[in-house]
Amino acid sequence: MSQQVLVRGTRTPIPPGRRRGRRMRTSGLWAHGMVAPSVLLVAVLLYLPFLWSLYLSFTNYDGSGSPKLAGLANYSQLLSDPVLATTLRNTGLWVVGTLVLPVGLGLLIALLTYNIKGGQWLRLPFLLPYALSGTATAVVWGFVLQDHGVLNSLLATLHLPGGSVSFLQQAPLNTIVMIFAQTWQSIGVNLLLFVIGLQSIPREPIEAARIDGARGWKMFSKIIWPLLRPLTAVVVGLALVAGLKTFDLVWIMTEGGPGRSSETLAVTMYRDAFVADNYGYGAAVAVLLTAMGLVVSLLYLRRQANPRNDVQLAGGGR
Amino acid sequence: MTGRHASTAVRYGMTSVLGLIWLAPLYLVVVNALRPSTGYTGTHLWTPSSHFALIGNFGKAMTAAGLGSSLAATLFYSVVAPAIAVIIGAMAGYGITVLRLRRGFAWFMVIYGGTLFPAQMLLIPLFFGYADARLYDTRLGLILVYVAIDVPLAAFVMRNFFMSTARTVYESALVDGGSPWNIFWRIYVPMCRVALVAVFVLEFTFVWNDLLFGLVLTHSSGVRPLMTTLATLSNPYAGVTVPVILAGGLIVSLPTVALFLATQRLFAKGLTLAQL
Repeated sequence: MSQQVLVRGTRTPIPPGRRRGRRMRTSGLWAHGMVAPSVLLVAVLLYLPFLWSLYLSFTNYDGSGSPKLAGLANYSQLLSDPVLATTLRNTGLWVVGTLVLPVGLGLLIALLTYNIKGGQWLRLPFLLPYALSGTATAVVWGFVLQDHGVLNSLLATLHLPGGSVSFLQQAPLNTIVMIFAQTWQSIGVNLLLFVIGLQSIPREPIEAARIDGARGWKMFSKIIWPLLRPLTAVVVGLALVAGLKTFDLVWIMTEGGPGRSSETLAVTMYRDAFVADNYGYGAAVAVLLTAMGLVVSLLYLRRQANPRNDVQLAGGGR
Repeated sequence: MTGRHASTAVRYGMTSVLGLIWLAPLYLVVVNALRPSTGYTGTHLWTPSSHFALIGNFGKAMTAAGLGSSLAATLFYSVVAPAIAVIIGAMAGYGITVLRLRRGFAWFMVIYGGTLFPAQMLLIPLFFGYADARLYDTRLGLILVYVAIDVPLAAFVMRNFFMSTARTVYESALVDGGSPWNIFWRIYVPMCRVALVAVFVLEFTFVWNDLLFGLVLTHSSGVRPLMTTLATLSNPYAGVTVPVILAGGLIVSLPTVALFLATQRLFAKGLTLAQL
């Protein structure tokens, strides 16, 4: 098409057109070359292992010899495995707990410290733990929650019940206290995002509502919350995915025990594959985890798939 | 007006009390990390010891379980892998949007689709594949995994960024005689450096904090990443006293705490960019 335009415009035939054609061909090569490293890395190190795991989940591979196909044996075993029922319950607790607590508290603290003098110093204690890894958080809270640990002695000193409770030794208490530990760590990111969201809300609607007499809860529910919703979508999305993949904290604080009472899907997968050498079964657990993640993201994306959100989100990022 | 004052006082009160609760575990860690490790009894945990033993405990943590060599290895991983990933991802974004790769959107989806797989789906094949390819327990092996995991995010952010830049920038640079690579390196990379740094900071933290790939793909101390070694150290059977474990936890956290506090806004920008 461009050739035609050139011909018509300049009345000098072919040469310019041919030159432009060559340039476009080389730019096509360049384009392929630029994208190739990403595609290669992703194909070899993400897609290939993914497909291989999918295949292994239909085998009884135990790490030696070659995998033998076993049909749906792993999956039918999954359905009747009592460990998996516990694991699913714990994973559910993690997803709901780490969604409600860190997001809710993060929003609360963002609102409480928003627009007051020294607000950034009041927020600092909540931001600090976020820079800690799951492993370091587990070290900190293992110290607090272990038998005869800090929390036990604190409760005993204050003459409160719980001085001799083994927080990490009984289910589902161990999962619940670990969710609190996770809340301690992850409140910071939600707080940070909400503060930025609040700061990017335009002043006019707030001032207008104030003149109309809106205060407190009414101001929040009618004006601030609707304006924060796109950002809430980001925060909730991050929390859902993280909750579903919980591993570090549980693996270090309880190794999924005692027994297998505090395992999450990610811990069950690791234990079945790399501790019990049951790689086929471990792969099936990984497939289940992937499927649940996909379902959650799809349900979530469908609710959030609203072009208006994108525009506001871009504003929230600034 | 008094109502306003009262509510402000409540706001200060509530956040201060909650803040103190949030600081308490950190206080305990610091106080007990500087307690002499030999006389540790597990009592009087709230009162600082009169002997300052933090440096000694740092030293013990560094030698115990090879935390020192893990620190060096992890510093290498968490700088090199995100740096490579950010450049490779930017190249992909540039190829797709600026150079208008044919079926660019499909290729983009192929790259970005990599974020859909949880690590659990990759571990078993990587473990056996790495053993066959002699990449198991090597620094190169870990760098490759970290780069591959970091690339989709970088490509995603950079594609979005380049889509918002005018095509005329490329065309006029081409007329001035620049090659596509030079235009990328001299014009587009400097143009998007804030986004590049935001993604780098985010991915630095991801790699620094990784436990799982280190657990599955390494075993010797010069290769094992930091968090995996800390996890070994914190195991009750490792025979290390509490003050040394806590000192270890402090050392491994200081770099990310410092980075996070210095780049809060950039960090949050990275997170929101990543979700767009």
